[in-house]
Amino acid sequence: MAHRPGFVLEVDRSTPPTLFHHGEGFKLEKLPVGSRIIYPSESLPTLKDPDGAIRHALLNPVDKDPLPSLLFPGMKLTIAFDDISLPLPKMRRPDIRQRVIEAVLDMAAEAGVDDVHLIAALALHRRMTEAELRHAVGDRVYDAFAPRGLLYNHDAEDPEGMAFLGETEKGEEVEINKRAAESDLLVYVNINLVSMDGGWKSTATGLASYRSLRHHHNVHTMQHSKSFMDQHRSELHSSNWRMGEVLKKSGVKVFQIETTLNNDTFPSPFDFLQKREWDWTAKDRATFLAVSKTLDRTPARIKRSIFQSIEAPHDMTGVNAGDVEAVHKLTTAKVFEQQLVQVEGQTDVLTMGLPYICPYNVHSIMNPILVACLGLGYFFNLYRGKSPVREGGVLIMSHPTPWEFHPVHHPSYIDFFDQVLSQTTDPVEIEKTYEKQFAEDEWYRHLYRTSYAYHGVHPFYMWYWCAHALQHLGGVIIVGGDPKAVRRLGFKPASTLRDALEMAEDVVGRNPSITHLHNPPLLVAEVK
Amino acid sequence: MKALVFERSLARFAAAKVAGALAPGRGAGPGPLRLKDVDVPARDGWHRVRPRLAGICGSDLSTIDGASSRYFEPIVSFPFVPGHEIVGDLDDGTRVVVEPVLHCAIRGIAPVCDHCAAGQTNRCERVAFGHLEPGLQTGFCEDTGGGWSTAMLAHDLQLHRVPDDFTDEMAVMVEPTACGVHAAASVTEEHVVVLGAGTIGLCVVAALQSPSGSGSGKHDKTVVVAAAKHPIQRGLATELGATVHTPDELEGVIRRRTHSMLIGDQLTGGADCVVDCIGSSQSLQQALRIVAPGGTIYVVGMPATVNLDLTGLWHREVRIQGTYAYTHEEFERAFDVVRAKDLGRLVSATYPLDRWKDAIRHAAEAGRRGAVKIAFDLRNEKERERL
Amino acid sequence: MKVRVPRPGFPYSAPTTPRGVEPLPEEPRWGQDYDTDWARRTPARYARFFIVEGPMRAAVRALASPTRRGQDRLDAVRGPVIFAANHHSHLDTPLLLTSLPDRWRHKVVIAAAADYFFTNRYTSAASALAMGAFPIERKTVSRRSADQAAALINEGWSLLIFPEGGRSPDGWGQGHRGGAAYLASRTGVPVVPIHLEGTGRIFAKGDKKPRPGNTTVTFGAPLVSGEGESSTRFAARIEAAVAALADEARTDWWSARRRAHAGATPSLVGPETTSWRRAWALGDRRSRSKRKRPAWPDLG
Repeated sequence: MAHRPGFVLEVDRSTPPTLFHHGEGFKLEKLPVGSRIIYPSESLPTLKDPDGAIRHALLNPVDKDPLPSLLFPGMKLTIAFDDISLPLPKMRRPDIRQRVIEAVLDMAAEAGVDDVHLIAALALHRRMTEAELRHAVGDRVYDAFAPRGLLYNHDAEDPEGMAFLGETEKGEEVEINKRAAESDLLVYVNINLVSMDGGWKSTATGLASYRSLRHHHNVHTMQHSKSFMDQHRSELHSSNWRMGEVLKKSGVKVFQIETTLNNDTFPSPFDFLQKREWDWTAKDRATFLAVSKTLDRTPARIKRSIFQSIEAPHDMTGVNAGDVEAVHKLTTAKVFEQQLVQVEGQTDVLTMGLPYICPYNVHSIMNPILVACLGLGYFFNLYRGKSPVREGGVLIMSHPTPWEFHPVHHPSYIDFFDQVLSQTTDPVEIEKTYEKQFAEDEWYRHLYRTSYAYHGVHPFYMWYWCAHALQHLGGVIIVGGDPKAVRRLGFKPASTLRDALEMAEDVVGRNPSITHLHNPPLLVAEVK
Repeated sequence: MKALVFERSLARFAAAKVAGALAPGRGAGPGPLRLKDVDVPARDGWHRVRPRLAGICGSDLSTIDGASSRYFEPIVSFPFVPGHEIVGDLDDGTRVVVEPVLHCAIRGIAPVCDHCAAGQTNRCERVAFGHLEPGLQTGFCEDTGGGWSTAMLAHDLQLHRVPDDFTDEMAVMVEPTACGVHAAASVTEEHVVVLGAGTIGLCVVAALQSPSGSGSGKHDKTVVVAAAKHPIQRGLATELGATVHTPDELEGVIRRRTHSMLIGDQLTGGADCVVDCIGSSQSLQQALRIVAPGGTIYVVGMPATVNLDLTGLWHREVRIQGTYAYTHEEFERAFDVVRAKDLGRLVSATYPLDRWKDAIRHAAEAGRRGAVKIAFDLRNEKERERL
Repeated sequence: MKVRVPRPGFPYSAPTTPRGVEPLPEEPRWGQDYDTDWARRTPARYARFFIVEGPMRAAVRALASPTRRGQDRLDAVRGPVIFAANHHSHLDTPLLLTSLPDRWRHKVVIAAAADYFFTNRYTSAASALAMGAFPIERKTVSRRSADQAAALINEGWSLLIFPEGGRSPDGWGQGHRGGAAYLASRTGVPVVPIHLEGTGRIFAKGDKKPRPGNTTVTFGAPLVSGEGESSTRFAARIEAAVAALADEARTDWWSARRRAHAGATPSLVGPETTSWRRAWALGDRRSRSKRKRPAWPDLG
């Protein structure tokens, strides 16, 4: 079937109930007549021969010489790649990164390159486990490089491993992985799930240290990125691009490879999740009923492991290689081609169902801070132009929001939730009083470097990610969440969507306009 | 006159132990405590005190539940009337607080023991000797009677006149506050962690945070982190000037504040000083986990028999120090702390003697039921006027 | 009294041939003419399914503890293919049958030497049933065999072939014959090179008893005959691909790729010298010593 673009549906009496993601589960909700639902676009046609397309991109790069001509014997080659936060959910094997890295390495082998390092560009995220690295780069690459210590995770806290490259015109310090900075060629292998990814953010963020990141991962930047998905209005983007200038000036040669994905997010039997409700076949409905009834009776731990084992049937819609900025223009165009949906006017109340996964809980637990970040940070910012919800409007999110943390992956989150959010939820205040204490905590540093923990400062970034939404919105309500956890976040708990809509009326007035973001698969609302 | 009397009865002890193990405070029903009609006590040279309010203390509860240590057996004398947090009237109408420690001078022992001579009457060596029956305090001694009755006896040395601006509630809090003052006086460290925010925990926080608590004002800048389980406790501890966290959060908080690492559950660093106001195996074990090497754990809550892994104590050269009661001088200072911190508000509920089972149940479940200190109110007992 | 039971005669037994009559020449019913059609019909396929997934898989696991790698290289491939593997042991066929990705496992035929597997009625039937074998000549493929193979591929059957033409006599590989390349060029299907490592240690040609050990099956990226490429050159390409896979299985993918691009992939055929020097150069690749190989990889 040819792909149908995303669109806005006005709810009438014949509209079937609408699907809301709800953590490790889903709900059907009847939205009031007159509400609007923004549906994502269906999947774009994909590349028939991905390996051929990758080879073609490497041989015909944009604004750069073909990759083989940049490779020579005796050179230092570094290949950096995106970490487990991309794509979501993790994709079926072979992962795009494996395809691209094998193609690049094959060319390097042909050119007789000996000195090759592969680095997972995870900035301050947790280190990837062996299984996760194998999934991303494939067994062949892993077995060839990891045992010799040539395939490893970026370590932003290694004093020997970072290189300071200078400051931007605005005084932002640029410090990235030393091996990457000192290589004759840095090949960056990216997966572009949303338009914020890629470009200079790949290197200037993915391979950077806290010293460098704090210049754009802060409340000011986030409050001035409206939204950070729109590069023309994103301070986050501008800051990364300024840092890119510094990288260029200090002689870091980057060969950027960016790939884009279609909207095939859920494999069978969950594929009904990406269909429009009126397209559900008898089989889809039966599956929905069976799955949701079963999930209702399944313990949370088992549900989590079922959902975390989902591998998306993502396919590549495009691959571009070459100069960072030129490539990123093509990439964002392709991403928007897949994700952009035209929306008329803003709404009083925006509703969304939050799924079980966000970039920071792959193989882990979606803790309350991540729930806030997914809703207010990511989904709220999925717009270009104006926000779909008016200033002072209300955001209603649906998620179980359990008071639960992964003790290995998120140790600093636990302390942030207990010790910081219990005192204040104001991002500015939090940044001023607590950020430094957490960022420089020796224990978190130790866990980040040697265990599989997110950096001590990471929960702060999650909260800063919410800063724009917190400033813009008049209230946030979480439907079906643990009331204590929701209150700790500074939001209001509601047990049903109906209650939540009534509560929202207290803020935005009677008979509010309601818009539902039917997400994921991902969409970006272009609001006029 | 009416009095709650604690009698020696093995069968009832056993019953109380079983009932008390099921739920705290349940030992009152089948246990050895009974409301009885007894003779009005009298003794030459002693004052008769008619209690107005008499508090229920943690040590009273563990006695009622049969959970207190056999250690006490030789230093109490049966039958006794419990109650050592007492404000009452003398026959001339003077309002007094009774300082309950029964030390040498009160027992007519001369010369007094070395500790008493040094003013440390809480360390008195003669609590089972002299002309009184054994009893470490009023409320555990057959001869003196106790606060949970309409009349009792007190020695001249035990009486503290209550200032006129004090309510009865404030006055009844002087005795527990004195315990806090004594604990605070022992603490010399900068970072103090208080475990537990029941009456004693809150009194320790209050004493640590008030200049008069230790007399010299040296604790003004002490950082106090209190581990409080129940919302009422958290609210009060915060008002009294502590940074408050739940016991579950405590390891994380102390780890971060002291820039330590973790080895298993054990902090590598930790707080210089932990004041344990609970005295259970769990609280002491937690104290051992969060105290710094070379640090001190002060045990204010009565621990009874506990089961502890002391390897950390050995390896990290930690000291555990008991703090019991108070000296006469500390008792006097407690008045200032009660006034400065308005500790009268800790008295959450009062009961007449007739409802003693409810009172004890309430006291045993105080935190959970949103209360701190439960006391007997004897001001409205009819026979009080007849005596 | 002696009762004679008469032997039932014609038509209950075969007729005798009258003297003076020239009987019709007997049609050869096995060898390369054995008709294996029945083994590709549904009942036989079901039977084979249970043989492969049951006793064969269990035996392979017990004997060969296989590690299978590189299946992902076949992800994009649809339809019939020709699998070309090196050949050291009778274990190779069961090992491969249990290792092929699901898509092909139960729709594959095996080119088996007519002079070995189809010598009489019973071996012929067993080979055809258990392995899905069909007879083929070792030396030069006859027109008839080639036609039959091509017809099977066109019907959607994949073909498993050992281009070395027989098991290795000494642990070294043998030069590839052109059958696989010829069939691939003729039918246009891709050739999937496969390298089997370790079967020679377990049950080599001439061994009396198998000795359990570890094996590795490495699948290579499919090769397609180029426009105008002669089947000899294509055969050489297949041989090189198998050699590169062997290199990959013994070292790692990256080292193998570098040597492949530098034209330095170690030969599978071995040096052309005296037999003891060939054996010497083989190292412990054919060793049946019970001594365990070191657990730590040699990182060079």
